[in-house]
Amino acid sequence: MINFQQVSKTYPGGHTALEKVNFHLKAGELAFLTGHSGAGKSTLLKLISVMERPSAGNVMINGVDLNSISKSQVPFVRRDIGMIFQSHRLLARHNVFDNVALPLVIEGMHRKNISKRVHAALDKVGLLSKVKCYPETLSGGEQQRVGIARAIVNSPPILLADEPTGNLDPELSWEILKLFEDFNRHGTTVLIATHDLGLIARMKYHNLTLNKGKLLLDPLKADVL
Amino acid sequence: MSLLFKSRVTQATNTDTSLVMTWYFVVLNIMRQGVHSLNEMWRTTTASMMTIAVLGVSLTLPTTLYLVVKNVQQVSSGFENASEISLFVRQGLSDKETKSLVKRLNLYPEISDVTYISNEVALEEFKQVSGFGQALDYLDSNPLPSVISITPTQRHSKPVAARKLLAKLEDEREIDFGKLDIEWLERLNALLSLLRESVITIAFLLLTSVILIIGNTIRLSIMDKKEEIQVMKLVGATNQFIQTPFLWTGIWYGVIGGFFAYICIELMMWWLGSAVSEVAGVYQSEFLLQGLSFFEFTNLITLAVLLGLFGSYLSVKRYIKTIEPDKI
Repeated sequence: MINFQQVSKTYPGGHTALEKVNFHLKAGELAFLTGHSGAGKSTLLKLISVMERPSAGNVMINGVDLNSISKSQVPFVRRDIGMIFQSHRLLARHNVFDNVALPLVIEGMHRKNISKRVHAALDKVGLLSKVKCYPETLSGGEQQRVGIARAIVNSPPILLADEPTGNLDPELSWEILKLFEDFNRHGTTVLIATHDLGLIARMKYHNLTLNKGKLLLDPLKADVL
Repeated sequence: MSLLFKSRVTQATNTDTSLVMTWYFVVLNIMRQGVHSLNEMWRTTTASMMTIAVLGVSLTLPTTLYLVVKNVQQVSSGFENASEISLFVRQGLSDKETKSLVKRLNLYPEISDVTYISNEVALEEFKQVSGFGQALDYLDSNPLPSVISITPTQRHSKPVAARKLLAKLEDEREIDFGKLDIEWLERLNALLSLLRESVITIAFLLLTSVILIIGNTIRLSIMDKKEEIQVMKLVGATNQFIQTPFLWTGIWYGVIGGFFAYICIELMMWWLGSAVSEVAGVYQSEFLLQGLSFFEFTNLITLAVLLGLFGSYLSVKRYIKTIEPDKI
């Protein structure tokens, strides 16, 4: 599903964030992406969501080389990828419903169907009662779950999460990871960047570890690489 | 439509397959965004009102100048219509010859009215007007020539055309010479066209400033929503999608600014109306200050809308593509 072939990324100024990274995340898999801060986790996610382009190598999603995607096609790539951010990135001026509905509005979906899907997504993350609330009135965990509902509302085949449990206590983190597991069980390919190693240790999933831009072997299953 | 996953049916294509319905929803969406952006302006009333007031004033000035030109033209067109050509008939012409001349002149397409004033009538009139009265009775013969007074048609009363017509009439055998008091008319027309030109120049400058003001306002509001735009781009919004509300804002600025200008002008007309009719009364003329006709009003609004749209388009084109999500 997500296939990196000899991918390097050097930022202007000479900082090398990724160096010859190779991996293949198969469809329907769930994997963690770990490493120290500055190891290149964010860069790797940015390359998948085409916020950055690789300096060398190819990033393939479902067999499509992202190098062949033109600037005007980028939004359409992002519609196939649900993204969850550590800082939630919700629209403060809009309520929970509007925030979750955003990807559907962008796709030009009919209002009736939007309402149905938004409620389904919020139900999944257990926030159906907060439909009319504004983000600032919600707790950190709730905001994170609104962000998750927004990411899954159009049932994308791929889910990317950047430190989704970053600011949450262990119990909430566990709940959120359970949510990801649930989406994964329904066929979504999930990639979670995190430095919460204790959490990963409890789950038997692939682990991509980055160190100074290089991918280390997965101690659990070497076949990922 | 999904780019990466050919078999993935996205929601938009899933629900409405017919082309008509798709377009219907596209239009409906654009309309909805229009209403939404009006709401947005409502939320930031003070800032919006300031911009609208600036626009209104910027539009009021050229419109006022336009009205000045229009009204001056209305006054001067009264003078132009009066531009007469006096033809002095050669002495010693028989009645029959004069009549046939008048008849011939009547057939000229450039002439709308011909009045023959025989030398007797002219003398009688002169007696009454001049106050010489009886003194003129002592003259042996009538020293005045017969005069044919000509009113050219509207088209031929303009200075150049009138001069041409005069030359043509002077070629008539029976005519001694003709007279056309034209210089003051030429001066007036020159002044009028100068006024018109300066109005166009000033209007051009002010309308450019309208575009710049709207462009700048939209630029600020784009910068203000930078974060929002980044999030929208992260979840797959195209530039077009993000643009639409800003273009609508430009349109609304135009509409409301145009109305504002119209109200200003109506107030001004009302204010000046009594003063003008007083002046007109002193001159015993029935001059009425002319305001904007409905057609001119719609033109004003359309122009304002186009300027608003253009101003916002400039900003939107320039700035929305520069805002890209940079951090996750």
